[in-house]
Amino acid sequence: MVGLSGSIAGIGAGLCAIGAGLGVGLVGASAVEGIARQPEMAPKIQVTMLIVAALVEGVALFCAVICLLGK
Amino acid sequence: MIQSSVVAASGQAQDIGSVVQAFIMHHVSDSHRWTWFPIGYQDLPAFLTVHGVMVILSAVVLVAMLAMACRRVGSVPSGVLNLVEFFVELIRDEMAVPFLGEEDGRRLTPLLCSLFFFILMMNLLGLFPCFYAATANINVTGALALVTLAVMIFGAIFRNGLGGFVKGFVPHGIPWPVLIIVVPIEVAGLFIKAMALAIRLFANELAGHIVIFSLLGIMLMYGAAAFPMFVMALAIYLLEVFVAFLQAYIFTLLTALFIGQRYHPAH
Repeated sequence: MVGLSGSIAGIGAGLCAIGAGLGVGLVGASAVEGIARQPEMAPKIQVTMLIVAALVEGVALFCAVICLLGK
Repeated sequence: MIQSSVVAASGQAQDIGSVVQAFIMHHVSDSHRWTWFPIGYQDLPAFLTVHGVMVILSAVVLVAMLAMACRRVGSVPSGVLNLVEFFVELIRDEMAVPFLGEEDGRRLTPLLCSLFFFILMMNLLGLFPCFYAATANINVTGALALVTLAVMIFGAIFRNGLGGFVKGFVPHGIPWPVLIIVVPIEVAGLFIKAMALAIRLFANELAGHIVIFSLLGIMLMYGAAAFPMFVMALAIYLLEVFVAFLQAYIFTLLTALFIGQRYHPAH
């Protein structure tokens, strides 16, 4: 059995995945709900959704980079 | 066979885990050696790295493609020009004009289009075998974000005057003690936004490529038993094609948004 050497940074990466998943999931869920209620607003909602998702994801990616550097 | 060739490439015999790690890092990090697996490699001069070559190459390819597409502009666009026109209209009507206003939006559309197509070309070039993604390098994305930062600062000074630019950091309708906290945050936000732009693009591209090479690395470790990983890697690769477009779109969109915040600080 071969194995990669473990480090605490892996746990950090997992934790930031939890945060990013929750955040982007909430954004997506609300956007889908909004589009279902008002289909004619879909383009505007999609653009806003992408912006917010990108901002949420940005924080998670900061964490991911820190995990990468801290390895 | 691949295992032994990778071990040979890494110089000395190591355990397979660190060989796979070296395999991944070799494929995503910058160097002076352009490897054409499995044919050979080309050593580059000291002032040029592989990612630098990719930046220049994508610029050349982009200019050549657009020049060829725009050579015969008729009343009805055809072929590549159709695609280009779709993206240019998307950028102008969905990003520039809503966030920057009619006049500034039309004025800044060329900048946003340049950013979009340049980032898109670098992202897509990184997906070809033997080529590297230049956007998986923080220096490249940092330089792109500096362009945004420069327009956010100097463009806003040029448009609103120095007084208007400074006043943009002071939101009105807030009691003055709160301003002591809010104004430094606004000023720091200027640089944090640019940094976030750079890190977002860099981390997305780097992470995507690391995932692909990790899946291929599992094949290196376990051999034929891990063949399904090939399918997974292919799926991630297709996802990366989508991400290449998405990240170029997001970068351009946020650039328009951030520049708009500095150009029209009132709202």
